[in-house]
Amino acid sequence: MRNAYLTYAAKRLAQALVVILLTYVFTFVVVSILPGDPITNVLNNPQSGFTQEEIKEIIAAQGLDRPVLVQLWSSFSGFVTGDLGLSMRSHRPVATLIAEVLPSTLVLAASGLAVALVLAATVAYGTQFVPKRYGQGLLRGFPSLFLSVPNFVIGLVLIHFFGFQLGVFRVIEPDSVWATLFAAIALGIPISAQIAEVLIANLDNEAAQEYAAVARGRGLGQARLFAKHLLKPSSLPVVTVIALTIGELLGGSLITETVFGRTGIGSLVQRSVSTQDLPVLQAIVSLAAVVFVLVNLIADLLYPLLDPRVTLLGGPKSRADTEDGTTGVSPAVAS
Amino acid sequence: MATQDRLTTLPFRKDLTVPVSTPLLRTEDLSVSYGSQRVVTGVGFELARGRSLALIGESGSGKSTIARAVLRLLAGGGRATGRVEFDGEEVLGLSERRFRPLRGRAMGFVPQDPGNSLNPVRTIGAQAMEAAALLDEPNKAIRKALVLETFSQVGLDNPQRVYDSYPHQLSGGMLQRVLIGLAVLPRPKLLVADEPTSALDVTIQKRILDLLSRLQSDLDISLLLITHDLAIAAERADSLVVLKDGLIQEAGSTASVFASPKSAYARKLHADVPALNPDRYAALRDPGFHRLNAGAEKEPKIAVNAVTKTFALDGKRLTAVNGVSFSVPAGTTHALVGESGSGKTTTIRLLLGLEEPDAGQISVAGERLDGRSHTSLRTTWRHLQLVYQNPFTSLDPTWKVEQLVREPLDRFRIGTREERDERVREALANVGLGEHLLARKPDALSGGQRQRVAIARALVLKPDVIVLDEPTSALDVSVQADIIEVLLSLQARLGLTYVFVSHDLALVRQLAHTVSVMQHGRIVEHGTVADIFDHPKAPYTRSLLDSIPAGLARPAPVARPQTRQILIAEKIA
Repeated sequence: MRNAYLTYAAKRLAQALVVILLTYVFTFVVVSILPGDPITNVLNNPQSGFTQEEIKEIIAAQGLDRPVLVQLWSSFSGFVTGDLGLSMRSHRPVATLIAEVLPSTLVLAASGLAVALVLAATVAYGTQFVPKRYGQGLLRGFPSLFLSVPNFVIGLVLIHFFGFQLGVFRVIEPDSVWATLFAAIALGIPISAQIAEVLIANLDNEAAQEYAAVARGRGLGQARLFAKHLLKPSSLPVVTVIALTIGELLGGSLITETVFGRTGIGSLVQRSVSTQDLPVLQAIVSLAAVVFVLVNLIADLLYPLLDPRVTLLGGPKSRADTEDGTTGVSPAVAS
Repeated sequence: MATQDRLTTLPFRKDLTVPVSTPLLRTEDLSVSYGSQRVVTGVGFELARGRSLALIGESGSGKSTIARAVLRLLAGGGRATGRVEFDGEEVLGLSERRFRPLRGRAMGFVPQDPGNSLNPVRTIGAQAMEAAALLDEPNKAIRKALVLETFSQVGLDNPQRVYDSYPHQLSGGMLQRVLIGLAVLPRPKLLVADEPTSALDVTIQKRILDLLSRLQSDLDISLLLITHDLAIAAERADSLVVLKDGLIQEAGSTASVFASPKSAYARKLHADVPALNPDRYAALRDPGFHRLNAGAEKEPKIAVNAVTKTFALDGKRLTAVNGVSFSVPAGTTHALVGESGSGKTTTIRLLLGLEEPDAGQISVAGERLDGRSHTSLRTTWRHLQLVYQNPFTSLDPTWKVEQLVREPLDRFRIGTREERDERVREALANVGLGEHLLARKPDALSGGQRQRVAIARALVLKPDVIVLDEPTSALDVSVQADIIEVLLSLQARLGLTYVFVSHDLALVRQLAHTVSVMQHGRIVEHGTVADIFDHPKAPYTRSLLDSIPAGLARPAPVARPQTRQILIAEKIA
């Protein structure tokens, strides 16, 4: 079991590294090479407003006169060692630029995820206990309703009511606790809808399983059946779902930041896109990919530890049937 | 040991206020509906203390629904009306809070499919402790000791290991023992067993039924047995209730219902059970025996010679089929019999060319199958068709019957459009299906009709050989009888050769001409049906034969000891 798990972990890790490498190269190709090269596209473009001296300076600083493969290599090796290069505009290290705004985005993303989890769990577990006549249907309708509302709409509605109408938070102070909370709600609601959807489906599915009826036949009440039997198996797949929503969380953070006027990765991206600051874009896109891959890697590594049924490929079979004369031929082999 | 002292002084739950003459369980005018659909109508029966009653019927008869209504475990939306009296008290009208203490404690439940009846992500021990919690025993260590004691009582060899296992680590037979143990652990007065053996192999089936009978008499439990298998009911129950479409067809003592069934349905059911009617299809089968005798010198239609197939499993080698040889004369039926894991399925996959044997030769109609590519096998497949086990999953639900039956003709590009239409109709007629079904989709067909479509699909290519992989195991007995009749009359008329794979020995006895008994990938015995069934030589064959429920062979039980004995106390004494 242990060895099988280590093999599995090593394979997943290798896969993750390959994905990160490919993403970096792909981003590099899209951002820096296509269509044409940065010198003609960005620097020599009269709309960018660079002087001849500035252009020369940037070419020298970024090494844009070197062959493309050399540029890619130095850029990637820098990325791996934590050197993200210099901004074309401010000439400051990209890592510093990101480090300045990252905490604000992390706070927002983390609180958004927390809101999503609390909301999803409340709604999903509520569907199992709220009787039909007291609005179980309403709870069940929640996920599909909020899946279909974009988070910037939710954000604008929240700003309008809680900011302008009720004055719960001051819109011009986007980093205050209350403003952050409402931004997190706007970010968390669509994500919670996805998680709740999966959770409700799993709970209904597990509750309809034969073992649930058999457990009730052993005298278990509704509450203990839920806590002891249904909660774990229906919550396990949510680990995977959360990992998949990380992308949404990142993307959503950028939009929510813009809506709420927060300084963060979102505003940095916006500024870099409008000024065509390529090194910054390359770093942010690649870092986002790394985060996404790592979170999914963690979910993949966690899952076999949580669910005893998961047998890893190549792992020894733990079937213990020796009595009754049956041999442990797995269906996959016997059929 | 202190633990053992506690075990012997377990409290007896004897309710002295209820006269012993009151039946333990009594239903009156019990009806169950799901929404507007009524699935059980006005059912009334009585189960005496310490006795057993079987509810018999085919799928849709409402037998399981009744069991769940008694336990009040109906699936969402089910509503029961009427009266259910348990121990003299009406329980159907009780609030859930007042009824719940009865579940587990007074009424135990043994479910149908052991594989799905325990929570897969919790250990057996954690779930067993839930049943032990009903014992009024405050000490956790003693409760655990009781669980382990019960595990060994139900025949589990290593109780502690079972306790620590997850459900997927145990076989079906072991899981069913666990579930029976959990059901009897709180010493209930009533045990409701819903098809407790239908998911298990025959030899295990017998052991589980023996275990239930033993616990029933040792612990003086009343048994409500739900089964589709008349032979099991005849062997295990004191009285029977025969159900069809939610209505009682017939009820009475087992002996009287079997000796003189009054309702037409009970008579048909009786006639359709293979174990009770070994010679039912004698007339249809006889031509095959003539061919068998005549074909002794001729080349057999199928010849399998010393075939071996090994799979790699977790670095170990697993020999699924080990030196298997048999031959089948044209126009006869050869049965491969064995339990799960015996290698029957792998053998037919080799025969169909779906797997390549590691050693040995296979030939069909004189043509070698082994060592050939899939493309070159295509022509052979025209003459070699398969009917799959479960017609509920083997037919594409989005296709019409006509497309399903016609597809093989299209694949092999046989005949013109008109000729194909003609052959589709002919194949359907051969299996007794009318042309009005051509435009139907599988969902609009019954299980029996689906399997007929599957047979027609095999027949449409006019094959010589049909491999039948448990073709009736997913079907009710009366439907099974129809399908067997169709198969045998087709063989009698068209001279087809069958390879019939089954775990059901009674069925094999009715329709096969020759038999190979398989165990652990080897053929342990082979011969004609008469050889195998009347003069079995291998011990394994004998144990298989012993597992066929013998119907009324067992004398009806009379007096049982009046004192309640506790298993564990008995063991210590």
